[in-house]
Amino acid sequence: MKRHNVQQPPVIITPSAGETAFPETVSLSNGVPVYLLGKGTVDLLRIEFVADAGQRREKVHMASSTANAMLTEGSGNHDAITLNDLIDSTGAVFNHSADKETASLIMITLSRKLEEVTALAEEVLFHPSFPETEFRMLIDKRIQAFLTGRQKTSVIGREEYYRALCGNDNPYGRVTKLEDYQSITTEAIREFHSLHYRPDNIYITVAGRDPEKALPVLEKYFSGNGTGLWHEPDMPELAFETAKTGRIFAEVGNSVQSAVRMGWAGISRDHPDYQGLQVANMILGGYFGSRLMRNIREEKGYTYGINSVVGAFHGLGYIAIMTEVANNYREETLMEIKKEIIKLCRDEVGQDELSIVRNHFMGEIARMFDGPFNSAETIRGIIDYNTGHDYFARFVETVKTITPGKIKELFNTYFNIDNSFEIIAGAK
Amino acid sequence: MIEFERHALSNGLKVIVHNDDSTPMVTTNLLYDAGSRDEDPEATGFAHLFEHLMFEGSDNVPVFDTPVMLAGGENNAFTNNDITNYYITLPANNLEIALWLESDRMVSLDLSESRLATQKSVVTEEFRQRYLNQPYGDIFLLLRPLAYRVHPYMWAAIGKDISHIEKADSISARQFYRRHYSPSSAILSVAGTAKPDVVFRMAEKWFGDIPPSEKIARVLPEEPKQKEHREITVYRDVPATQLIMAFHTGGRESRDFYILDLLTDILSGCDSGRFPSLLVRKKELFSDADIYLSGEIDPGLVIFSGRLKSGIDIKKAEAAVMNELNTLASEPVTAAELEKARNRYESLRLMSYLSAANKAFGLAFHELLGDADGINTEIDRYMSVTAEEIIDSSARTFTSDNCSVIHYLPLLK
Repeated sequence: MKRHNVQQPPVIITPSAGETAFPETVSLSNGVPVYLLGKGTVDLLRIEFVADAGQRREKVHMASSTANAMLTEGSGNHDAITLNDLIDSTGAVFNHSADKETASLIMITLSRKLEEVTALAEEVLFHPSFPETEFRMLIDKRIQAFLTGRQKTSVIGREEYYRALCGNDNPYGRVTKLEDYQSITTEAIREFHSLHYRPDNIYITVAGRDPEKALPVLEKYFSGNGTGLWHEPDMPELAFETAKTGRIFAEVGNSVQSAVRMGWAGISRDHPDYQGLQVANMILGGYFGSRLMRNIREEKGYTYGINSVVGAFHGLGYIAIMTEVANNYREETLMEIKKEIIKLCRDEVGQDELSIVRNHFMGEIARMFDGPFNSAETIRGIIDYNTGHDYFARFVETVKTITPGKIKELFNTYFNIDNSFEIIAGAK
Repeated sequence: MIEFERHALSNGLKVIVHNDDSTPMVTTNLLYDAGSRDEDPEATGFAHLFEHLMFEGSDNVPVFDTPVMLAGGENNAFTNNDITNYYITLPANNLEIALWLESDRMVSLDLSESRLATQKSVVTEEFRQRYLNQPYGDIFLLLRPLAYRVHPYMWAAIGKDISHIEKADSISARQFYRRHYSPSSAILSVAGTAKPDVVFRMAEKWFGDIPPSEKIARVLPEEPKQKEHREITVYRDVPATQLIMAFHTGGRESRDFYILDLLTDILSGCDSGRFPSLLVRKKELFSDADIYLSGEIDPGLVIFSGRLKSGIDIKKAEAAVMNELNTLASEPVTAAELEKARNRYESLRLMSYLSAANKAFGLAFHELLGDADGINTEIDRYMSVTAEEIIDSSARTFTSDNCSVIHYLPLLK
């Protein structure tokens, strides 16, 4: 049907990233920094406690994630069932997670339950009892999940990627084996916990309406002393093997699709090219209309989705392209990925395409700072990676001023298809 | 309280606006009253395939995503058994771009053979990626035809089978479009920094000239009351046994929906729920045990799903679940359990509606159910649930004759 009344399309107003300022920071009397993110509109507070207790600190594999998962499995005062009942009865939600860098506990609570819930958060973070029964249950559950993961091409593809990138002896690259579940003990977790969850070795973000009102309660429960303050992460020297090149194949039973990945070592977050590389990557595979999506999903129909990322741990940057395709498309897919990279190394992107990516970034940044809860997540990235309070101000500047010539140069420098590695996980 | 204003265009499009100027963004949510229940049983998966086609460009918009990105926005859509829902979130000063885009694809979508061919291939890969190439991924493909015998909820939104997607043609695509993608089948909801009168004017401008389609009443076969226990056993290459049990219950607007939604929260909504406490921790039968409502508009299902610990006999596990459910039919839940569920409902609701996008969807969905104000009034429907109602509802629902069971077992090696 044709429109009988076609009108001029509305004019697009170039989006702005909006306010990206770093939030107000105060300290508890023991020096623990607290970042306040206000302007909430409902009576909820989101308080996050971040400890320098991620996977990179592990001497025993899985100690970080296991210690974190066990936080709510019983404390000095309460067994697991009672403790969880106390938390749930307040209506609060506790989310705890550990990643490669840090570990955290997020509590989201009705403002009127703040004190009660904060007291529970303190109990959970600093006084877990790591009971043997709950520990066994957790390990059994993880073994089930691990075995299920052996059948997922996406999981195997990801593991092989990190292994190829970092080497198997590095805590960032280490691949979990079934034996790891047998060798971990509650002693190892206790030791990890006492070393890395210390009252003064955390930072706190408070987001919601009137976050400063939480300060007296935090002071009451979190101003204890320990042996050293949260500081810019004092990183152990980790040995990274140089990323391997060439093809790695991992067989996954009777899979009907294969995970296909391509990767390179990248650059650290403080490298002058890091932000520009984010822009370049967006063009290649960072959004729905990217080169890879248009070619491999929208033209060829090989996949439900394909994307690429540029990121960095402490000490090692990475670049990854990832997708899942039918087994019979995997070689064509890799060939098409390479064709797209070669094109970007050879031809400058047009201004139209660059405008799309620029504006998209501005919208993304605006969303990252939309409301106190999103802002709290965003600033955690800044703090954990120590990228500087003006990270997003600089990023906005980079996005606005980067030229097609610079983007082409970045592709030639960092996306060299001759020294990439490729992973295929799927049926033979 | 989520305040809103409502306006209907003469072609039947309903427009709802909630102004929340704490965000610099705005979300438009366009809900079409068309889901997989509206499909031909021989051509299932069509509503979802059609959702993909909606991103393939229209007369004045060659590439749907380009203007969204240029406007700093993001967008997506989903299809379920009842509805197809499209949303765009973008800086508030670009609101009109979203309305222009939605209006153009409502009336002048590109349904060429080549677009269809590509999306058939993409959806086939989606089917493989999400349902066939995942351990336990086909559970709902098995459960729906077991629980339903005549109602179209007997197939999942992705479709019964890849072959249905492969044979979709552009003639059926055109028919589906004409019949379901019309202003009279749609609800437009806008939340964020947006003044109602401005939005109503823009909606008139962009949607006002689109003619309504003839309204064909939805006539779906009513699922007869299940009168016998149903059970199937399947063997798959998975490491652990999974038990699935499904019981028929009322539709989204029935009293049972609210009673059982609150009850399932008591049972497994949080870690201190009865199932995690009793079936996982104390009896050590399951490594996880979850129960929830499928949540469709027409009469739906209460679904139990649990993965067994190794070495546990599935009959023993099933009996333990039935035992817990039978207890609910005779003994009241405690005051503390009800209080906990109410507190949780209050805070989870606030968390969900922190996002303008969630508010926009909630308003549109409640309007489809009959009144957008349901987004506010349903609190009372939850808070008023009593222990007696839970007994009554449990006694009617959790019977063996009303139950469909899947024993999902590891291959014998």
